[in-house]
Amino acid sequence: MFDNRRIGTALALPAAVFVALAFLLPVGILLSGSVQTPTGWSLALFSEFFNDPLSVDVMWRTVRLGAWVTLTSAVLGYVAALAIVQAGPTWKGRFVGLVVLPLMISPVARTYAWIVILGRTGVVNQAITGLGLSAEPVRILFTETAVFIGLVQLFLPLMVLSLVSALENLPADVVPAARVLGAGWLSVFFKVILPLTKEGLVTGGTLVFTGAVTAYITPAVLGGSKVLMLETLLYQKVSVNNDFVGASVIAAILIAMGIVTHMLLKRAAKARAR
Amino acid sequence: MSSFKRPHFYLVALVAALVGAPAFAQERTLVLSAFGVGQNELRKELYAPFEAKCKCKIVVNVGNSADRLAKMEARKANPEVDVAVLADFSALEAAQKDLIEPLDTSKLKNFNKLHDFAKNPIGNNMGVGYTYFATSIVYRTDKVKIDSWKDLSKPELKGRLALPNITTTQGPTTLMMIDKAYGGTTPNLATGIQKVSEIKGGVVTFYERSAQLVQLFQQDEIHAAVIGRFNWPLIKKLNMPIAWATPKEGLTGGINVLVVTKNSKNKDLAYAFIDEWLSAEAQTRIAMALIDSPVNKDVKLPKEVAEVLTYGADTAKALNLIPPTQQLLHRKSWVDGWNAKIASK
Repeated sequence: MFDNRRIGTALALPAAVFVALAFLLPVGILLSGSVQTPTGWSLALFSEFFNDPLSVDVMWRTVRLGAWVTLTSAVLGYVAALAIVQAGPTWKGRFVGLVVLPLMISPVARTYAWIVILGRTGVVNQAITGLGLSAEPVRILFTETAVFIGLVQLFLPLMVLSLVSALENLPADVVPAARVLGAGWLSVFFKVILPLTKEGLVTGGTLVFTGAVTAYITPAVLGGSKVLMLETLLYQKVSVNNDFVGASVIAAILIAMGIVTHMLLKRAAKARAR
Repeated sequence: MSSFKRPHFYLVALVAALVGAPAFAQERTLVLSAFGVGQNELRKELYAPFEAKCKCKIVVNVGNSADRLAKMEARKANPEVDVAVLADFSALEAAQKDLIEPLDTSKLKNFNKLHDFAKNPIGNNMGVGYTYFATSIVYRTDKVKIDSWKDLSKPELKGRLALPNITTTQGPTTLMMIDKAYGGTTPNLATGIQKVSEIKGGVVTFYERSAQLVQLFQQDEIHAAVIGRFNWPLIKKLNMPIAWATPKEGLTGGINVLVVTKNSKNKDLAYAFIDEWLSAEAQTRIAMALIDSPVNKDVKLPKEVAEVLTYGADTAKALNLIPPTQQLLHRKSWVDGWNAKIASK
């Protein structure tokens, strides 16, 4: 873009220095804490983590919930994004506004609202008992289900926005062309739309998954200590046990999870293209 | 508001800021590290009156004990905090880490007016108790009857019980009382942990923030919970048939203490502030606002206030407290036992 490469480098320098000082350096210090023991560099702290049944249990729950939240957001996200892209320009703007709106409300307020909605006397349980699906109110609060619902609501907008921008870049005539050539709606979606919007899916999937596994407020309030996730366990280590070393191990694992997920999603997207 | 548009408004503001800044800087500041509970009331009943007297400013850092202890440790060489409010066992931990210094109690005019249990709760005059609280079971009288810590296992409470998590101040004391009720004999509270693990499926939540309990009672999620007395006023206000139990094994509880940071640059202010906090006047105001129970013997409270708080030397004597040294010695074994039997599946 620049005739002189040096100008380009110079212009990128302030941002690069900022990121290096304000992000890479602290993360480096944090991560180095997880591989340092009094006797030197070692992975002993990680093997300690993976040998503790509670930690492993919590880690798998985190991965499982993260995966379900991402999958659910992808399915719901495609439906919503397709509808939004089909709408006229005025309505498209309004719909996108509606999708963005929840992002502007504090996660704490939203999460507390779920306590009321999912409680024994809340709307959901009134509907369940009213419809005769169960004689007694069902316990939803402080279960994995509650955390799942809270996380989907929290991160679905990120998936919808990523997919909307991907779908907008879809050439307008590919879907009619596929239909004219005799493709059913399912094969249009899986053979045309999905491959052409997979970049959006990768972006959205990475955002939703890393968001879900690193969320703190939702699992803390809707799950409590009975549904510990890595993030709530990390908080417990720092603020209760004063165990910063154990916490930095969890932080390292969370960062690794985010990176691995992104790479896996990207690879899956590439494999499909071939 | 039109003056905002005039350039000279900004000039005036700038000059005012430059001239004003050193004036503000000269006002001394006392940094207090405290629990988040009741800060608005404490500001009104304690900090503001003290600020008027000392011509200084009180800045409060809030958080739970462990969190704030970690911060104090990080700033050990150059402490930011002057006075800290801690649970007794956290204060002892601070003493062992050499973060605080012994109090010269002769500098505290109100020291001799305190109940004996508050004078030196963690030893070596490292801290002075400013409040104490009882911990017991609160329960819906129309749903269940509670006379013993064993009654937490009653079938009526299955799916309707909230217990404190091991990570809270109330957690270990609750375990101790359950352990005691079932005749536990070992300091690792194995019996208590075993009993809680037997009912864990029926426990709605092992809470970490006691403020949540009001909502849970209100929404009919729970019919009983173990709480500190400081949470009782808000739950009582719900106007539901909820009572504070007096189990036959007795109540448990805790003492909170004030400590002075080692190397604090504002020791004179710190002592003046602690003395103010221990004075009958301040203790009465804070008690009347239903925030903290008084430890000053001269405080006389009306019946309706005394009923809500933990009040009197006899109450204090009857509490089953865990000595802070025991707490520090065994806490890790409690957390390990809890994680192995209760927190994991």
